[in-house]
Parts: sequence; C-alpha cells; structure tokens
Amino acid sequence: MVTIADYKGKVKPDWCPGCGNFAQLSAISAALVDLGIEPKDSVVVSGIGCSSNLPEFINLYGFHGLHGRSLPVASAIKWANSKLTVLAYGGDGDGFFEGTQHFYHTAKRNVDITYIVSDNQVFGLTTGQASPTSQLGMKTKSTPEGNIEKPLNPLTIALTAGATFVARAFSGDALNLREVIKKGITHKGFSFIDVFSPCVTYNKINTYDFFRQRVYKPVTDTKDFDKAYKLAQEWGDKIPIGVLYDVDEKTYEDYDPVISSAPLIDQPPIKLTAEALAEFL
Amino acid sequence: MKTDEVVIRVGGAAGDGVQSAGLIIAKAFSRSGLHANTYNYYQSIIRGGQSWYQIRASDRKVRSQGDNVNVMIALNKDSLERHTSPTINEGGASPIGKDGLVIYDQSISDFRKGDCQYCALPLSEIAARHGKNALMKNTVAIGAAMASIGINFEVLASVIRDQFGNKGTAAEENVKAAKEGYDHYLQNFKKLNVTLKTSSKKFYLISGGESLALGAVNAGMKMYVAYPMTPASSALHYLAEHEKDFKIFVKIPEDEISAVNMAIGANYAGVRAMTGSSGGGFSLMVEALGMSGMMEVPLVIYESQRAGPSTGLPTKTEQGDLNLVIGASQGDFPRIVLAPRNVEDAFYCTREAFNLAEKYQVPVIVMSDLYVAEHYETVEKFDLNFKIERGKIASPGSENYRRYEYTSDGISFRALPGTAELMHNEDSDEHNEYGDVVSDAVTDPTLRVESMKKRMRKLDGYIREMPPTPTYRYDDAEIAIIQWGGTQGVVEEAVDALREKGIRVGLIEINRVYPLNPDIGKLLHGKKQIIVVENNYSGQMNRLLRSEFLVKTDLVTKFDGESFYPRALTEEIETIIKR
Repeated sequence: MVTIADYKGKVKPDWCPGCGNFAQLSAISAALVDLGIEPKDSVVVSGIGCSSNLPEFINLYGFHGLHGRSLPVASAIKWANSKLTVLAYGGDGDGFFEGTQHFYHTAKRNVDITYIVSDNQVFGLTTGQASPTSQLGMKTKSTPEGNIEKPLNPLTIALTAGATFVARAFSGDALNLREVIKKGITHKGFSFIDVFSPCVTYNKINTYDFFRQRVYKPVTDTKDFDKAYKLAQEWGDKIPIGVLYDVDEKTYEDYDPVISSAPLIDQPPIKLTAEALAEFL
Repeated sequence: MKTDEVVIRVGGAAGDGVQSAGLIIAKAFSRSGLHANTYNYYQSIIRGGQSWYQIRASDRKVRSQGDNVNVMIALNKDSLERHTSPTINEGGASPIGKDGLVIYDQSISDFRKGDCQYCALPLSEIAARHGKNALMKNTVAIGAAMASIGINFEVLASVIRDQFGNKGTAAEENVKAAKEGYDHYLQNFKKLNVTLKTSSKKFYLISGGESLALGAVNAGMKMYVAYPMTPASSALHYLAEHEKDFKIFVKIPEDEISAVNMAIGANYAGVRAMTGSSGGGFSLMVEALGMSGMMEVPLVIYESQRAGPSTGLPTKTEQGDLNLVIGASQGDFPRIVLAPRNVEDAFYCTREAFNLAEKYQVPVIVMSDLYVAEHYETVEKFDLNFKIERGKIASPGSENYRRYEYTSDGISFRALPGTAELMHNEDSDEHNEYGDVVSDAVTDPTLRVESMKKRMRKLDGYIREMPPTPTYRYDDAEIAIIQWGGTQGVVEEAVDALREKGIRVGLIEINRVYPLNPDIGKLLHGKKQIIVVENNYSGQMNRLLRSEFLVKTDLVTKFDGESFYPRALTEEIETIIKR
C-alpha cells in the first residue's frame, strides 16, 4: 500500500520558510496517496520558477523542463503512456505569460492531465517582478510606480478555452487543497487548479491574511457553465474557492483513432512491408 | 543532343494543374521501367503566377532535372513565350532550343516566337468532346507529349486511371481525351529523335518528404507532431494520411515550441517521436533542443531548409541553415546532424536518426531542403529490414540507480516513467548523476565539470562508429569536389562531365554534417585543389571544413532559390580549376 513516506523526496525543498508551495507539495503527495497511485506511475512536469522546482523534492518521475512549456511535455507523456497519472505544475509567470498558448490549447483539447498553478501573483525566482496576475497598482521591482496592467483571470480563460474541470484553492486551507487536487486528478479530461500561494518574500499584498479574510466555499452546481463563469469573476471582499466547474466530456485521447485503442507505448511498431510502398509504383 | 534521355517541361499558372500533369508524366516514365527525376518551380500562391514542372527520364540513372528540354507543354501564353525565349530567367533553366518542340492549344495566337518547333493542337476542343472539366486539356496535351517520344499509350492510360480514382466517369473521360491527343499528334506531327529503352523494372516514384516519413515509420516512430511549414509539410501530409495504417499519432499543435516539447515528452516516456519544420519553425525549437541535450532525452527533428532569411522564399530551395542547426541553443551539448543526399538517402538517414538518438540519448537533426523534400525521383528498392536499437533502458530494481551515471562512454541507463523503483528527476538545470540539481542551493563546480564531460564524450563513440564518408569517382582524383546534402545528384553529373573532358576530379559526399567524420581530412590530404559546392551565399559548409581540417578551398555557391543545373555547374567548376 502506498504511504506518504513513498512520495517523500530525498532533497529538502529550498523555498523560503512560509512559502505557499510547501502546502501544495504536501497536498499533491497526500492526494496521490489517498487515490492509491504509486510513485512509479506518477509524473510531474514543471516549467521554471520557484514552484517549478517541485519535482526535485518529491519521489516520483519528475520532469523539470523549460519556462512555460510544462503542458506540451505533459500532454505528450499522457499520449505516449495513458497508464500514467500526469500532473503539470508551475507558477503564474510560467503558465500565464510564456505558457499562455499552451494553457489555452491544452484546455481546449481536453487532454486527461491535471494542471496545478501555484499562483503567488509575482515573480519569485527572478526576485520580485510583476507577473500576469499581479494586482493593478502593485509596486514591484519592475513596476516601481505601480503595476499598470490589469491582472489576467486564469479561471475565465480556462472556462472559455473549454476546460472540463476548473477549480481554485488556497495554500492556507490544506485540507480543501488536498480534496480539490484529488478531484482534479480523478476527473477525466483537463483539470485546472489555480492555487493562491502567498509569496512571503515579494508579495506583501496578497498575504495569507488577505486570503483568509476573503475566501469562501460556495455551494454551486458545478455542471452549470454560467454559474461557474460568474463565480470565476468574483474578486474583492469575497473570493470563491473549491471546484467551480466539473463536467464529463470525451477527451482528446478518446477521439484519437490511434491512442484510443491502447496506450501508445504498448502498441508495437508496425512492420513496414512492400505493400505499404505499392502506392508509389 | 542525347538521344537516350528525354526532358519534358510543363508550364502554366498556379491552379492550371501543372504539378498534377508533371506527376502523371513522371509516373508514366516510372511505369515504363525508366529512371525519372523531377523539378518543381513554383511560388507561394494558390492561383496565378507562373510555375513549371520538369521531368527527365532515361534508362540510365538521371540524377538531376537536366538541361536540354525536348518537349514543352505550355498551358498558357505566358509560359509559351517565357520558355522559348533565349533570355529566359528561371534560375538556370535553359530555354526550349531548336531541337525541342512545344505543345500548346491552337487558340493561343499572336505570341512571340522562339527558335523551336511549334505543335498547335486543338487541346480544349478535344477535351470538350470527352467531358466538362476544362482542365482535361492537360490530359490531351500529356497524350500528345507521350506520343512524341513513343511511350506506350496503355502505360499512360493506367497512370491516368489511378490518378482519377480508377472508376467513375472522370477516369475514362480522361483516358479517352489522352488517347485522342496521342493519336492527333501521331497523325499530324513527327516523333522526336529519342530512343527510350523501356523495361519491366519496377520503380517507386516518391518524394523526399515521403521517403523520409517512411524511414521514420521503418524506425518505429509512433508520434509525429509538427506545425505546418513548407517544405516540411510533405512528410506531415503523408503521415497524416496514413495515421491509421501505420498506427502513428499525428498532431498539429499550437506552435513549433509545443511540437518540439511534445516530441521530447513522448521520447521521455519511451515512445519514438519526431517533430519537423523549416528554418523558421526550427528557430522556435531552439531552446528545447538544448533541453534535449541537457536532459539527455532522445529527440529527432526534421529540418527542411528553404531559402531564408526570415520568411524568405517559401517555395524555393537553399542550404542556408547549417550555421543555425549546428549552433542552435545556448551552451555546449552533443548533437548529431545528418543531411540526406537524395530522396532514397532520406529514408536511410531518418531511420538511422532514431537509433542514434536513443543510443546516444542526444538530439538528432535530419537536415534536408526543399529540393529533396518536394521533388520526385524513381527509387529502385528500399531495404525494409531494420533493427530498432533502443539503447540503454533500465529494468525495475536496478540497484543504486543513477539516471546520469558517469560512464566511460557517457551513456547512462534511462528509466522510463512507469518503471518500478527507479523514480528520479530529470532536469534542465545542471544536475549530478542522480538528476539532483547542482545549480541552486548547492553549487558544485567539480560535479558541473564531470557532468559536462559525461555528456560531451558521447560524441566520441559516435565518431568512432561512423561509416566511411561516401565518395564518387574519387580513387584516382587529383582535385576534390565536396558537396553536402541534396546537391549530390547534380554534382555527380558535373563530375562525370569534367571527367569526360579529362579533368581528374572526384567527389566527397557529406551526409553526416555534424560532427564531421575525421576521415574527410585524410581524403583531402595531398589533393591539388579542393572545391566546395553549396546552395547558399556564404559557404557555410566551406567554413566548417576549413576550420575542422585547416585546408585551403575554393567555393561555388548558388543562392537564387533554385537548384544547380549540371551544365552551368560544370562550367563554373572548370573555370575555377583553370583559373
């Protein structure tokens, strides 16, 4: 039986004390244990950034690739071997700046992977610049007079693109985070989880207290797109967390004539014969 | 004029069916047991402009598009005037000379005449008698052209039937139209003085893109992910059409960055995958190329050159990407670059690329060009026996597993996800033998040096195992000519022509462009002169050869977007030799 010890990495995380990423590392490990998924069958693909270092700190198959590019790698791993549980993981800069087109199109394709974003609304590893989710007016190293770009809303983008599972969680609510991740992994199709993950070093606005005072868990019909879209837009004194949208649709793999029959890795290469060349005669 | 070969050119506007007509003719030659070679001159336009297609055939191997045109099918007035003008400006193509004849519709009048034979036929009238499709006049013209050189009509009929779906009225209408064109020619005009020795030999008429794709299939490729870009798309189209037959996952993702990352992801998971593009798309893949080198994930990229820079000439050929491909991505990491010399070679280079990528756990780039990718050639045989070698893949339970173990050959065991007990991290950051990062919290200069050396020494093994560099008429050569990639055929023809003039030249053919085989240094030793021929402006291979082998060289280039032509190339080389 899988236990939490099985997922414990041999390298200690080097995140700042109090970083929201710790809660996510624990929640991901715990969710995989709860679901009885063995480390050998789990893959985490990440980009570049503080949060993207996570594969170094967990015992499974880790792929720490390029900034913004976790989703194409993760999609192809799933297509190559659908028996694996594939997670993509990274920050808001990684996913919503350089990775935006992959985010949109992976959601549209409904690839059966889970994408968790550690959203701290700032660049951490590059020492504190404005990110795509930084609030308007936020002063950072790159915006000393205050951010003049509106923040992007990852949830409405995911919904618009066609994601079949859209959720939000908070590193300050570990139990709920773990449950949401479990639901995301169980969901068949593309599941997107945006996690509020306070950056204790570079974001003095969106702190643990900021979110504790605002987050609430709405009771909603997760099959209702309009309700989900409305909740996704809530921002201010009250910010909803939990699963906002969860519907069953055929996945990309279901549609594909080659992958739908068997995992690609289990399909031996065809033997090329002279008949295949006959069309050129 | 040679009487044992024939060159036919079909000219018209985009949308006139120039290429379809050219391919029917090429296939008629191929099915007559003749060697054929084709050349496609076209623009990035769907309707209009002016394009032409040239087909050369003989019982001898024909290795380029050739120089002397025997028969021209002119599908409009522009092409009728353009190709008969002595001041023709088509990138080295010669005009129809006085020995050549031109087949055209008799409704075209008042055109500027050149010094050749004009055969006006009622192409449209004949076509109209057999069906409603106006483009059937092309079929009538093809019938006439085949009659002029004495190709058996039944062979042509079989090709037309295949082309038009074998059944239904279209196929039979076209066969009847072609027959009337064929008969009309024989009744009204003289046959050309050529004797084609047809045979019962079976040839494949195939493009480089298709041949390359077949090589990948033969190598056990299971995934092809590529964003469309001319001239790499011929491989994409062929594979997509045969997705189910070959059980290959074929996908166009959102961009080339995604494509290459997908190919890397699939290879990481243990499935052979390739991506492909031209220089523009390859430029977007550059960062991921380095990741493949750093993480030692096998990768095959098909890079199909077209004339640059930037968007450049989308439908024109060039060999201008060598510097890009061998220099792409930051830092030093091992890579292997192959460049098929012809359509047939594209098959063998590509299937080998997959074994090399997994054996050495490096990115392998198969560099081709528009000329090889899009032109059709006859190939006598493909050897389909191939041993897929997956390289070092770890089994469950390997003790003290180190993904990046510092081995003597630099190659360590990969553990594919799903393998029990061998979980580990693969990282684009510098890492130690276990895959643990040594760039962040713990910076370790000693481990950095060991990891660099481990990766780089993989190439030593590859260089040792390289087969000898191919040569042509080289044994007694006093002067060395060097070509790389798709210029092989035309340069061989130039070598033959120079030999006929008593000049002792021999050819070195480079299809392993990086790293270069050290045997080239030995081949060049003691030669009176070394002349490098390449399809680009600055002589990119020339510079590489000079720096690798410290040799003095002369250079012949062509960068007008078209391939070399044998006669002009022969003259240019001769001028350099006699200078």
